[in-house]
Amino acid sequence: MTIGDWNEAANELNEIVASFDEGEVSVDDLFVKLERATQIIESLESRLDATKAKVEELAPRIARVAEQE
Amino acid sequence: MVQDESTADEPILEVGQFYDLVTAHLEAALGRRHPRWVRGEVAKVYEKTHLYLDLVDAGSTSSDTKRPVLNAHCWASQWNPLKRKLAEDGITLKPGVIVSCFGYVDLYAPQGRIGFTVTAIDVEGLLGDVARRRQELITRLREEGQLEANKNRPLSPVPLRVGLVASPGTEGYSDFTGQLLKSGYGFEILLVKTAVQGEAAPAQIVSALEALDQSGVDVICLVRGGGSKGDLACFDDERVARAIAAASTPVFTGIGHTGDESIADLVAHTRAITPTKLGEDIVNMVSQWHERNVRLPARRVLSASEAILDEATEYVGERRRTMIFAVRDRLRLEERHLRATRERLVLQSSHLLSAAQQMLASARQLLSAYDPVKRLAQGWAIVTNGDGRVVKQLDDLSPGDLVRVRLSDGSFESTVEKKDGETS
Repeated sequence: MTIGDWNEAANELNEIVASFDEGEVSVDDLFVKLERATQIIESLESRLDATKAKVEELAPRIARVAEQE
Repeated sequence: MVQDESTADEPILEVGQFYDLVTAHLEAALGRRHPRWVRGEVAKVYEKTHLYLDLVDAGSTSSDTKRPVLNAHCWASQWNPLKRKLAEDGITLKPGVIVSCFGYVDLYAPQGRIGFTVTAIDVEGLLGDVARRRQELITRLREEGQLEANKNRPLSPVPLRVGLVASPGTEGYSDFTGQLLKSGYGFEILLVKTAVQGEAAPAQIVSALEALDQSGVDVICLVRGGGSKGDLACFDDERVARAIAAASTPVFTGIGHTGDESIADLVAHTRAITPTKLGEDIVNMVSQWHERNVRLPARRVLSASEAILDEATEYVGERRRTMIFAVRDRLRLEERHLRATRERLVLQSSHLLSAAQQMLASARQLLSAYDPVKRLAQGWAIVTNGDGRVVKQLDDLSPGDLVRVRLSDGSFESTVEKKDGETS
């Protein structure tokens, strides 16, 4: 099952967490939901790491512009 | 020849003697010891070591062949300091200027000419005249709206293409361009060289302004370092003022030192007090635009990127922790539920077992009450027939039947002889 963009993934993750908060998860569903949540979290972390790497690469260039005299 | 009687006794004078006499009379009345102020309009002026002026009555015309002309001259020893003073105050003795000269009469016999030796010039009066004419020009320009014309020209927020009217090699030029060059911004300077003092300067400045106005520069800068009023007089020139007012490009001025304010400054779009300050002002404009439109957005992008990443990192971390806790809590809940169920079952089983045990005990107690051994010991007997069946009623027997009677300590056989039914 594919994982949508950041907002879609975050919404799906929030729904899973909410279902736990509300006690809607049966033991049979627990593993399925946990596995899905793990996939989403890993996907988000992976995207975040990739974005951070890009930002770290670009930030000094933007900083040079920002501090340019 | 007719001789006047009054002079009949006086000797006839030679020409030289006559001039000597005239000179003596003139010197007695208007000579070196009796100097006078004479005011006149400069009709001609010529300088060669000494200054030579032809003064006429103010307002007279050259077509008037009978107008008096005073040939005045100022010897170098007096003229040189006077010339410096006039130059400092921006005064040029030129035709049309009305000047009051202090001096004395002299007679140049070889040419039969009366002259006037100038020892002083009323500079204050000349200054007043210059100031008056300057003020009249300002008033005129104001009434015509010329003072505001260039100020209303739209100004580029990033004036990087700079038209420059200046004299290369001068301090003002270096001061101004130095500011632009050291700023690090990519200023494009289009220079039109002009004189920035002297008679030729106004026309050259006007021409330069017109040329730069057509060149597409963002701003035209008119630059001149400090100097005497005379040096800066060209910036009070009406032609320069009108050229600035007419320009469709904003004209900035950086002329002279702090405190010098020329008519060009008044007409200009923006005035800086020195060339250096003008350079700084233009650099500041570009810098402020750069700050507003480049540096500030860049800082915001950086800051926002960091905030978004921090928020996203915090979010993912929080969700991860929440999931771990939620699953753990859920599993614990199930474990608790199972444990409780198990405990409940164990408890219930125990109760059931206990009840069964009680029931068994009661049964056992009840049964013991019916124990035949106990009954036999009490004196009861059990009679069985030949088949070994317990005889419970008379009908089960008949006279003659062999029965066995069991007692607590043994049994014996017996034969039924007679039946006696109980009467109720």
